[in-house]
Amino acid sequence: MDVLFDGLVGAIGLLLSGDHDSWSIIALTLRVSLTATTIALLMGLPLGAIVALARFPGRRIVLAAANTGMGLPPVVVGLFVTVLLWRSGPLGGLGLLYTPTAMIIAQAAIATPIVVALVAAALQQVDPDFRVQMQALGATPIRAFAALLGEARLPLLAGAMAAFGAVVSEVGAAQMVGGNLAGQTRVLTTAAVLATSQGQFSLSIAFGMILLLIAFGVNLSLTLIQQRRTVMR
Amino acid sequence: MSGLSAGIGCRDLRVHAGGRELLSVPELHVASGRTLAVLGPNGAGKSTLLRALGLLSSHRVSGQILLDGRPATRSLMRNAIVAVLQRPILRRGTVADNVISGLRFRGMSRREARIGAWPWIEALGLEPLAGRDARSLSIGEAQRVSITRALAVRPRVLLLDEPFSGLDSTTRADLLADLRAALTGQPTATILVTHDRQEALALAEDTALLIDGRIRQHGPTAEMLDHPSDADTARLLGYTNLLPPSLTGRMHTLVARPEHTQLVLDASDGPADRTDDVRSVIGTLRRTVALGIATRVDVDTSTGPLTCLHPGDVLATELPPVGSDVRVRIRHARSLITAD
Repeated sequence: MDVLFDGLVGAIGLLLSGDHDSWSIIALTLRVSLTATTIALLMGLPLGAIVALARFPGRRIVLAAANTGMGLPPVVVGLFVTVLLWRSGPLGGLGLLYTPTAMIIAQAAIATPIVVALVAAALQQVDPDFRVQMQALGATPIRAFAALLGEARLPLLAGAMAAFGAVVSEVGAAQMVGGNLAGQTRVLTTAAVLATSQGQFSLSIAFGMILLLIAFGVNLSLTLIQQRRTVMR
Repeated sequence: MSGLSAGIGCRDLRVHAGGRELLSVPELHVASGRTLAVLGPNGAGKSTLLRALGLLSSHRVSGQILLDGRPATRSLMRNAIVAVLQRPILRRGTVADNVISGLRFRGMSRREARIGAWPWIEALGLEPLAGRDARSLSIGEAQRVSITRALAVRPRVLLLDEPFSGLDSTTRADLLADLRAALTGQPTATILVTHDRQEALALAEDTALLIDGRIRQHGPTAEMLDHPSDADTARLLGYTNLLPPSLTGRMHTLVARPEHTQLVLDASDGPADRTDDVRSVIGTLRRTVALGIATRVDVDTSTGPLTCLHPGDVLATELPPVGSDVRVRIRHARSLITAD
């Protein structure tokens, strides 16, 4: 219990102390995870919508692949991105390995299948004639689609939360493609792993608690939006 | 206007899906202020026709859709039509939010839309529900909201896709009456797709009988509902008893409704001898079913089954036993001139 208590005190201390290293780790964690989630949403939303609403050969295979991707091990994604960005790899010339950009790429790759699968599921829950009915009331196809997104708002936001949760908590890919370089690519998860390996349990617990706090804060914001009383536009 | 008055119509309309022709309608027109009922059995292509006319179809559609006599574009159609689908599809939000949504899609502010929609909310009796969450409504209430939402737009063309199916009889009767009252005097061309003759009779001046993707008959409702031209339309219109020439000795096939076909229970009750429509045929009683307000009697004849409907609950003692030879009297029949 002492270790846990010390960890909690340490976390509060870190937050209040204004320690530059800690704040830069928190800031990088937020930047990488939120950017990766945003990219995943930007790619996953249209892809999920196409899978849910369009009819094309291989649609079910794409959906099955996305569903499989929901359980994609971050280490496998990290390995794949590392190979791609390795100096002698196909994208090695870009010099992105061990940079926050590489971490964003890897985390976006982890989150995109989650978004695709959950968006497809969310949109398929709505009545298949919903868009037809909206267009039959005078909506343009774009407005009808926007109305559909509004109708599926609850499960769509749940998808966004799942995507953020997956990337903010993963450590394997961040470690492999970021390298956990102090001041450059160290995020809360990799910092916690390092602190644990060095026996600095209080620090590790502090990082873990801050991580939980961030995850809670982001998810609380999304939940408040999700559960807000629906008002027609 | 290409010789056509204001309203909606089509020329050489064909709908294909999966390499199969689902619908072929050479010409159809519904003038403003009139209602056409498209009556057909399940799978006849009624909803396909409605969606094709509203440019809402996901199938391959060829031919021309005409709005006020001119080829309709999506943009023109979007402003002109409103459709009410079979299942009421409402958005999240209150009943009032849903009723104004068509007006909002047409660019009205929330306030303008509420002002515009309120008379319709009153006319359709939705005031007590206006603030209710649309997801908490019964199916009948939801369909009432769906119809009010459509009427609030004051559309030039109203497409109704079996809006009363799935409603209990009281709700259906009330909604039917309210819709009839709301449409009266409106310059709206209305197309009602249904398989129910009573709905057609209550709402539509004209009726088209659609079978297997083709319009078999088209004309004034009262006339259409009582003058089948072939066996398929006869069945659709409730003339389910088919009496071929070999059974009646007539030149043409006769058709009769079950309520006009009855078992001769009294041996002295011979066939009437005056009107041409009255016929009697011989058969074997297969079964009797008490339906409360009527008793159904199924009889097998040499050319097929006949259904008789006796008003009231005929006592079992009055009926001959199953397997008996019986005589069936047809009080009123129609002749299929183009008999098959």
